[in-house]
Amino acid sequence: MSLLDTCEQLVKLARKAGAAEAEAYAERTRDASVRVRDGEVEQLEQASSKGIGLRVITGQRLGFSYGTDLSKEGLKELAAKAVALAKGAAKDPANGLPHGKDLGAAPAGDYDPAIEEISPEWKLQAAREAEKAARAEDPRVRKFDSTGAGDYLAQSAIFSSRGASGESRASYVYVYCSPVAEADGQLQTASWSDTRRKLSRLQPPEEVGRTAARRAARMLGARKPKTQRVPVVFEPQLAAGFIGGISSAVNGLLVHKKSSFLASLLGKRVASAQVTLVDDGTLEHGIATRPYDGEGVASRRTAVIENGILRSFLYDATTARKAKAQSTSSASRAWASLPSIGTSNFYLQAGKQKPEEIVKGVKSGLYVTAMLGSGADVVTGDYSRGANGIWIENGELAWPVQEVTVSGNLLQMLQGIDAVGTDLDFRSSTAAPTIRFAELVVSGA
Amino acid sequence: MPRRSKEASHAPLLPLPLVEKLLSTAMSRGADFAEVYVERNTSTAASLDEGRIKSAQSGSVTGVGIRAIRGAQVGYAYSDDLDEPALLRTAQTAALIADGNREPGPVNMSRTPLPTYYQVRTPLASVDVARKIELLQKADGAARAYDKRVKQVMGGYADQTREILVANTLGHLAEDRQDLCRLSVQCVAFGKKGERRTGFYGGGGRVDFRFFEDFSPEQVGREAARQAVATLGAVPAPAGPQTVVLAPGWSGILLHEAVGHGLEADFIRKGTSLFAGKLGQKVASDLVTVIDDGTVAGGRGSINVDDEGNPGERKVLIENGVLKGYLYDHLNAKLTGQRSTGSGRRQSFRHAPLPRMTNTYLAPGDQTPEEIIGKVDRGLYCRQFGGGQVDISNGNFVFEISEAYLIEKGEITKPVKGAMLIGVGPEALKNVSAVGSDASHDPGLGTCGKDGQAVPVGVGLPTVRIDNITVGGTGA
Repeated sequence: MSLLDTCEQLVKLARKAGAAEAEAYAERTRDASVRVRDGEVEQLEQASSKGIGLRVITGQRLGFSYGTDLSKEGLKELAAKAVALAKGAAKDPANGLPHGKDLGAAPAGDYDPAIEEISPEWKLQAAREAEKAARAEDPRVRKFDSTGAGDYLAQSAIFSSRGASGESRASYVYVYCSPVAEADGQLQTASWSDTRRKLSRLQPPEEVGRTAARRAARMLGARKPKTQRVPVVFEPQLAAGFIGGISSAVNGLLVHKKSSFLASLLGKRVASAQVTLVDDGTLEHGIATRPYDGEGVASRRTAVIENGILRSFLYDATTARKAKAQSTSSASRAWASLPSIGTSNFYLQAGKQKPEEIVKGVKSGLYVTAMLGSGADVVTGDYSRGANGIWIENGELAWPVQEVTVSGNLLQMLQGIDAVGTDLDFRSSTAAPTIRFAELVVSGA
Repeated sequence: MPRRSKEASHAPLLPLPLVEKLLSTAMSRGADFAEVYVERNTSTAASLDEGRIKSAQSGSVTGVGIRAIRGAQVGYAYSDDLDEPALLRTAQTAALIADGNREPGPVNMSRTPLPTYYQVRTPLASVDVARKIELLQKADGAARAYDKRVKQVMGGYADQTREILVANTLGHLAEDRQDLCRLSVQCVAFGKKGERRTGFYGGGGRVDFRFFEDFSPEQVGREAARQAVATLGAVPAPAGPQTVVLAPGWSGILLHEAVGHGLEADFIRKGTSLFAGKLGQKVASDLVTVIDDGTVAGGRGSINVDDEGNPGERKVLIENGVLKGYLYDHLNAKLTGQRSTGSGRRQSFRHAPLPRMTNTYLAPGDQTPEEIIGKVDRGLYCRQFGGGQVDISNGNFVFEISEAYLIEKGEITKPVKGAMLIGVGPEALKNVSAVGSDASHDPGLGTCGKDGQAVPVGVGLPTVRIDNITVGGTGA
C-alpha cells in the first residue's frame, strides 16, 4: 500500500473511532552513510525507516498518537489512542485542520534519482578524497574527528478529512570533514560540509576537505583579546545562525503571547535598511523547498523583514486562527510530533558589499568563524554567545581568537547591521551572507 | 544499595532463537563481534499553554539495531520491521563491513545479572494520562498565583517506558526497563516598559509517578515564577574576567562541558581531545574530584545496564585535581586495551552507541555556602543556569546563566541579565578556589547531545567559587 493510502485508511479509522476531524502524516526514509579514518572505512550505516502520526480533533479538543506499526491492527490502535487522548485535552476554538483554499501545492523541491543510485563505494571514495585533501592542505592537520559522506531519501504523505491530500519526496547527498590541527600543544578543530538535493550540485569532496583543513589550521595559536566594544563581522554560517535566532522572534505563537521582542513592532523599522529576511518554501534548489507545509498548506514566499521594516510573522493554521491572521505555510512536521511553527528556506537577502570589503572597513574588530551556545533569547531580547574567530587589524585578518563571548541586544543588533555581503549561498535551509554589526561587546581578558 | 534482580521471567522483546540467528548472520562475512539491540519505547506527553491543556499525545516505537565490528570498522543497520526476513536483511547489511566469508560458530547467550538503581513499580506508560495532565494544571495555577506579573506559563510533562534487550557474540544477554519522566514549567514575567524575564524549572528521573507527591507541581510552578519575577529590573551583566560563585545543583553542567565530554574515549582514541595523553597529570585544582556515576538511585542519567549490555558504574574521573580515567564504550575500550566502563549509550535503535556520560558530579568540600560568598569582595553569584556547549579540541566551553546577582563585599545584591560564562576546561578547573559542603544534584532535567544523539543525563555540583573566569555580558 502507498503511504498516501495508509494515511487515508488511518483517517477513516479515526473518523470511525469518533474523531470529528482527522489528519494523518507518514514518512518513509532511507539513510546510508560511510565514515572513514586514515583512508579506511570506520563505519558503514544503512537503514530504512517509517512512521505515521495521527492528529484528531473532537469537540475542539486535540489528540495525537504515533507509531511505526502500519498494519491494520497498528492503525486501529493509533486511532483509538488519539481519540481517547483528545478527551483529556482542553477545548480550544482555535483547534482545527486547514481546509479550502489554504490547501494546495506549489511546485515540489528537487528530487534527484541519481542520489537513489549512489553506491557505498562512491561514498567511500568521496570521503577518502575529502580526508586526503584535508591532510594535503596543511601539515599541521594530522587528526580527524570524522570525515564522511552519505545520502538520504525521504518520502512523505498527508491526508485529512478536511481535504488535504498529497505526496512529496526529497533527496539529499552530503560530504563532511572535521579535521583537527595541532601545533605547540594546542588543538583546533573545524568542520565543513556540503549538502545538496541534486548530486550534480554537490561541492567536490576535495574542496570540502581543503576548506575544513584551512579553517582548523588558521585557528592555531588562538588567544584571548581584551574586553572591548568593537565592530564584529559574522561569516555566512554564523550570520545564518543569527537569523535562525531571529526566526523564533517572528514565530506567530510567541508573538501572539507577546513573548517575543518583536511582538509589538509589526510595520515598524526593526532593522537597518539593508536587512531583508525571507521565508520561502518555493525557492529553486532550496534545501527545504516543498510543495506544501507540514499540514498541507501550499508553500509560499513570505517577506518577514523588508528593507528593515517588519512585515510579517510566521503562522501555522492553528495559530493563524488564534491571531486572526493567515497561515504562512509555516507548519514544520515530523511523523512523531504535532505540527509546530518553523521555517522553510529562511534567508537574509544578499547585499552589495564583497565580504573582503566588509572586513577592510574595520580598523579593529572581530571576525567570527565559530560559535558556542544557543545565544539568542527572543523573549528577553538578550544575546550572548561564545565565539572563536580572527582579530581584524587595519582591515586585515590578523590573528586567531578564542575564549571570548559576543553580546548585545537583539533589536539593537538588527538595527546595527551596517554591511551585508554579496556571498549568499544556500548551503542549508537557513542561509545568510557575511554581515557586520557596527558595535558589539566582546568579552575576553 | 544496589540489589541483584531476579532473572527476567517475562517474554523477551524478540524471541531468543531469532536473536541468535541474527547474530550469526551479522558474523557471516567474517566480523569479529556482533550485537543485536532491541528497543520498545512507549511515551506519553502533554503540554499546557495559555492556561489550557493544549494537547496530549502518545506513541510507541519498536525497532532493532544490528552492529557488526571487524577491527576498528563498524557496520550498522536498523529496522522497524520486526518480521524475520526484514531483520535477516538488516543483519546482512551490517555484516557487509567484513568482506570475507566465514562459517560462524554457534552463539550461546547467558543473561547478565543486573544491579537495580531504579525500581519503578508501575511503568509510567500505564499511569492514567489524566493524572499527568493534573500535574500541569496544578503547576500552572501555582505559577500564576505566585505573582500577577507572571503572564505566560508553559508546562510540559513527558515520560517514557523504554524496554531494551542487548545480546552480543561474547554471549552476553541483558534486558532492562528504563522508565523516565520529567515535568517542566517555563514562565514569562512582564515588567515595566515592555521588559520580559523568563524562569524555568522542573524535574523528574527514573522514578515512580508518586515522585511528584514530594516534588510537587506547585513547587515547580512557584520556582519557575520566582526566577522570572526575581530578575525583573536586572541590569546588564558586567563583561570581562571576574570571580564567580555557582549555586549548587544544575551548575554541574560546568563539569559536563568543561571536562566530561573531553574524557569520552572516542575523542581520546582519536587524539582530538585536549585531555588525551594526560592520565595521571594535574588538570584541575586540588579541590576538584569529578565522578561520573550511572548508579545514582533514580537518577535521570542512571543505567542498570548501558546500551551495549554492560552494567552502569561509578567512575572517578578526576581525583584531587589529577586525571584518573576516561569513559569507555565497548569499541573504544577494545581498541585501546581497556575495559568498558558501562558508558556505551545511544538515543535509540536507529543509532550506534557512543561513549557518553551518565550523572556527572563534583565531590563536596568543607566550606559552607555562606563562607564562600562572604569572602568574595566583588563578583557574580550564578543561581540558575541554561544550556552549555564545548569544543573538545581547544577546550573552550560556555554555559548560560539564567539568574545571576552581583556580589558586593560578601553580600548578594542586584540581579543582572544576559550573562554567560566562557572558559577553557582545565584552566577553569585550576581556578576553582573553594568547594562547598552542600553536595547537590540537579532536579532531573538534563539532556545531552552528541553527534546528533540525545540521551538523558544528570549533573551535580556543590557551591563552588571560580576565580578569573570570563563573563560575557553587555555591562561595564
